[in-house]
Amino acid sequence: MKVGIPKEIYPNERRVAATPDTVQKMRKLGLEVIVESGAGDASNFADSVYVSAGATIAASPDPVWTDADIILKVRQPMFRPGTTVHESDLMKPGAALISFFWPAQNKELIERMAARKVTVLAMDAMPRITRAQRMDALSAMANIAGYRAVVEAAYKFGRFFSGQVTAAGRVKPAQVFVLGAGVAGLAAIAAAKALGAQVRAFDTRAAAREQVESLGAQFVEFKFDEQGEGQGGYAKEMSEAYLAAEQALIAQHAKQSDIIISTALIPGKPAPQLVTSGAVVSMAHGSVIVDMAAEQGGNCPLTERDKIVEKFGVTIIGLTDLPSRMAHQASDLYATVVYNLLKDVCPDGQRLALNLEDEIHRGVLVLKDGALMWPPPKPPAPRAGGPATPQKQQPKPVHVGQPTNTASPGMRIALALAVALLATAGILGPPEFLQHLTVFLLACVIGWHVVWNVTPALHTPLMSVTNAISGIILIGGMVVLLGRGASPAALGLGGAAVLVASINVAGGFLVTQRMLKMFRR
Amino acid sequence: MTSTIRALAYLVASLLFILSLRGLSTQETAIRGNRYGLFGMVIAVICTAVALLFPEGEVAAAAVSFSGVGVLAGALGVGSVIGGLLASRVAMTSMPELVAVLHSFVGAAAVLVGIATYLQPGAEVEAARGAHLIEIYVGILVGAVTFSGSIIAFGKLRGKVSSRPLLLPGRHLLNLGALLACVALAVIFLRAPDPWPTQGDLSSMLTAGMPALLAMTFLALLLGVHMVMAIGGGDMPVVVSLLNSYSGWAAAAAGFMLSNDLLIITGALVGSSGAILSYIMCKAMNRSIFNVILGGFGADAGAKPAAGGSAAPAGKVNETTVEQVTELLLAARSVIIVPGYGMAVAQAQHPVKEISSLLLSKGIKVRYAIHPVAGRLPGHMNVLLAEANVSYDIVKEMDEINADFPSTDVVLVIGANDIVNPMAQDDPSSPIYGMPVLEVWRAARVVMLKRGMAAGYAGVDNPLVYNENTLMLFGDARQSVAKLLVALNAGG
Repeated sequence: MKVGIPKEIYPNERRVAATPDTVQKMRKLGLEVIVESGAGDASNFADSVYVSAGATIAASPDPVWTDADIILKVRQPMFRPGTTVHESDLMKPGAALISFFWPAQNKELIERMAARKVTVLAMDAMPRITRAQRMDALSAMANIAGYRAVVEAAYKFGRFFSGQVTAAGRVKPAQVFVLGAGVAGLAAIAAAKALGAQVRAFDTRAAAREQVESLGAQFVEFKFDEQGEGQGGYAKEMSEAYLAAEQALIAQHAKQSDIIISTALIPGKPAPQLVTSGAVVSMAHGSVIVDMAAEQGGNCPLTERDKIVEKFGVTIIGLTDLPSRMAHQASDLYATVVYNLLKDVCPDGQRLALNLEDEIHRGVLVLKDGALMWPPPKPPAPRAGGPATPQKQQPKPVHVGQPTNTASPGMRIALALAVALLATAGILGPPEFLQHLTVFLLACVIGWHVVWNVTPALHTPLMSVTNAISGIILIGGMVVLLGRGASPAALGLGGAAVLVASINVAGGFLVTQRMLKMFRR
Repeated sequence: MTSTIRALAYLVASLLFILSLRGLSTQETAIRGNRYGLFGMVIAVICTAVALLFPEGEVAAAAVSFSGVGVLAGALGVGSVIGGLLASRVAMTSMPELVAVLHSFVGAAAVLVGIATYLQPGAEVEAARGAHLIEIYVGILVGAVTFSGSIIAFGKLRGKVSSRPLLLPGRHLLNLGALLACVALAVIFLRAPDPWPTQGDLSSMLTAGMPALLAMTFLALLLGVHMVMAIGGGDMPVVVSLLNSYSGWAAAAAGFMLSNDLLIITGALVGSSGAILSYIMCKAMNRSIFNVILGGFGADAGAKPAAGGSAAPAGKVNETTVEQVTELLLAARSVIIVPGYGMAVAQAQHPVKEISSLLLSKGIKVRYAIHPVAGRLPGHMNVLLAEANVSYDIVKEMDEINADFPSTDVVLVIGANDIVNPMAQDDPSSPIYGMPVLEVWRAARVVMLKRGMAAGYAGVDNPLVYNENTLMLFGDARQSVAKLLVALNAGG
């Protein structure tokens, strides 16, 4: 079988889908490899190195497309610039393509290739399971993009990242604010941190806190009780109020930031506009925003796709080819994950052995010999969108630490028994008793509700104050003492009751007061 | 007229009490909450006094006994002074004992009021008599259990009574028997003639229901003692809170017998909020509330340390020195301090605070990890740390900080044991299995400051002591901490 590696023709695309390293591995699998001349030039892999790895070089693209049984690519096929020749039209029937494909956005391309009776495996449709991690091209690219975003920012930012005290004066550390703690966001945090900046990161998922803090950055918490919390996560678009609250929080942090790196994306939707124009205006002149969502419309309304612009003294970087700007590294990682998939679907080097029961094979399969296989039945639609999306689809965890009003079954039975007992007493007893019972039960309900939300630190003072209040039994002693015809015995008993109860009242309130005074910040 | 004023005053007082409990649920409103409670109490006492001294109609006016007023004023004055002195003198570490002993006062007052009410001639119609007597009976029962239970809890917290659960054979049957006996006595009590003595003749009292009532009181006292004796030291916080709830129910019962709505409302408030508080605490310890009430927690604990101490986790203990700990702390980037009851007992919170400030000033990240049941009352540690002026930004609760232990260089465990016991997660046979604990063993180094190798309050051995990354610094917590502080000052 022949594997073809054409040169990418998408503007500014510098990556290549195979490196000399992976060519060597493919040769070992028993595959022939044909590489278009100059395919690796932009990634600093010369033709000669491919040759020594065991590949044959084709002088023009056509033989690569027409002869190969499997084509490995980075971008999906497209029209050659200035011609009416579509790359995929050259593929022979029954051949296969492995590349990024974005099937949801490329319906026409799917039809065109279906007509050619070819097979298409989409790298972007890789299911998110443990076994597939070494074939996860999106994460690999997001990692690079996150790093590169920091480098681009550093290039445009006129100051150090790390704080220094020098003889020539004191340098404050750069404040970096990262929006979205997906793979790209985390990579950006790590890179900024390594350069010595102070990093804060924001994510709507509470679960991201741990990951952010593990990298030594500070997590910016966002609290908003969106209805239906716990199921939505980011997969749905949030309400306008939610977005407004998010924007407000970000604006507040933007003011204190020198660099913002935004990575927030919603699958299949335009990127949320998190950094408002107002927030940009409030930033100091010379600040930098890297909008990694520029391809989906940007997280900032001022972002211009594929451009670096300056607005209100703030440099806004809308580059969409960040991984491609580190072509060598990106090709290296991409070629490896592509090879891993290739080895999985073609283990013997003889033919494509697609197993429709295999979650990975089924997940990436878009066309099989021209038959539409996408979307796969279950698990759901492939992830569209960019780097930060994968984790965003996870449901939000249920907020912990919130007291739940659910009682244990045992407690319910006990309650029911108590109520039944009191009810019988109420029915059988005198009317006056019934009235007291009403008051009693209502007060129970109030007491029940009042303390549910007490903070643990206040348990002791709360107990101490309720203790003082239960000294109300003092009133009982008074009634006895001052009642009609109090006998000497009643005087003695009532007096003693008043004595101990008043110790309780005075002691309880005073000690609570003492305790609370210490709680001052 | 007075009755209207009294009713209004009671309404205001009740509302103030509700606001008070509500206020105590957040830091910002807590002090105000306490004042509301105090105002409510003052209003209630004054209005009750006024209403009783100037009753409506001329019939009753003559009946007010001036000796009663005298006794009231005297008792009120003396009681307030004693209470004030107690509260202002008590050390913060003895807070739990004070709270326990105050509960017993409420119980005692309920018993006294109950008996006195029984001896008082009432104006009840015949139909209501039975109900009235039952109210008295129940009030005394609850009051007596609260009283003796609180006394035992006080003893246990003081260390005067062994913290080990006392498990009599067939203890559930004993409790049940005592309750049945109380019911039987109630029947005798209800059938007895009214006790109201003819002028000056006390003997008629003794022939009435009095013996049955006193016998029941005695039984109830025993019941309270037995119930709390059977509960192990580890559950003491819940018991104190539960007794708090009982004291509320006792007050409510007194309200029923005296037909006093304020007593009913307030008692019910305290009773139900105390019950919820106990429930919240039980959840924090992953224990069922029935389990706690029925007692016997740590039933195996008596046998375990004996067997476990020699056999099970026995291993090498890494003893360390103050110098070594100093070096460790100064080289650390992140330190977590886990205070426990030992720190409270040794009154070491001030030097501990100085250590944390010193480390903070050297750029080391220092935080405190507080377990929900550290100490003898939940929130006990927060009280002590607040007393030592530790900023509560660095005082973290268990859920907030448990994930941070793996990235921590040094954990200082000061006088804590059960709350850092890995057996709660590893060993299903352990009596504390399932209780959430601080996962200190995930940190790079753990330094335990401990008096000796004794087991914690729950009486359970702690394998953490034998861990390879655990260093033991033996000695009194206060002295160890003081030495550490001196060494840190010298080292920095």
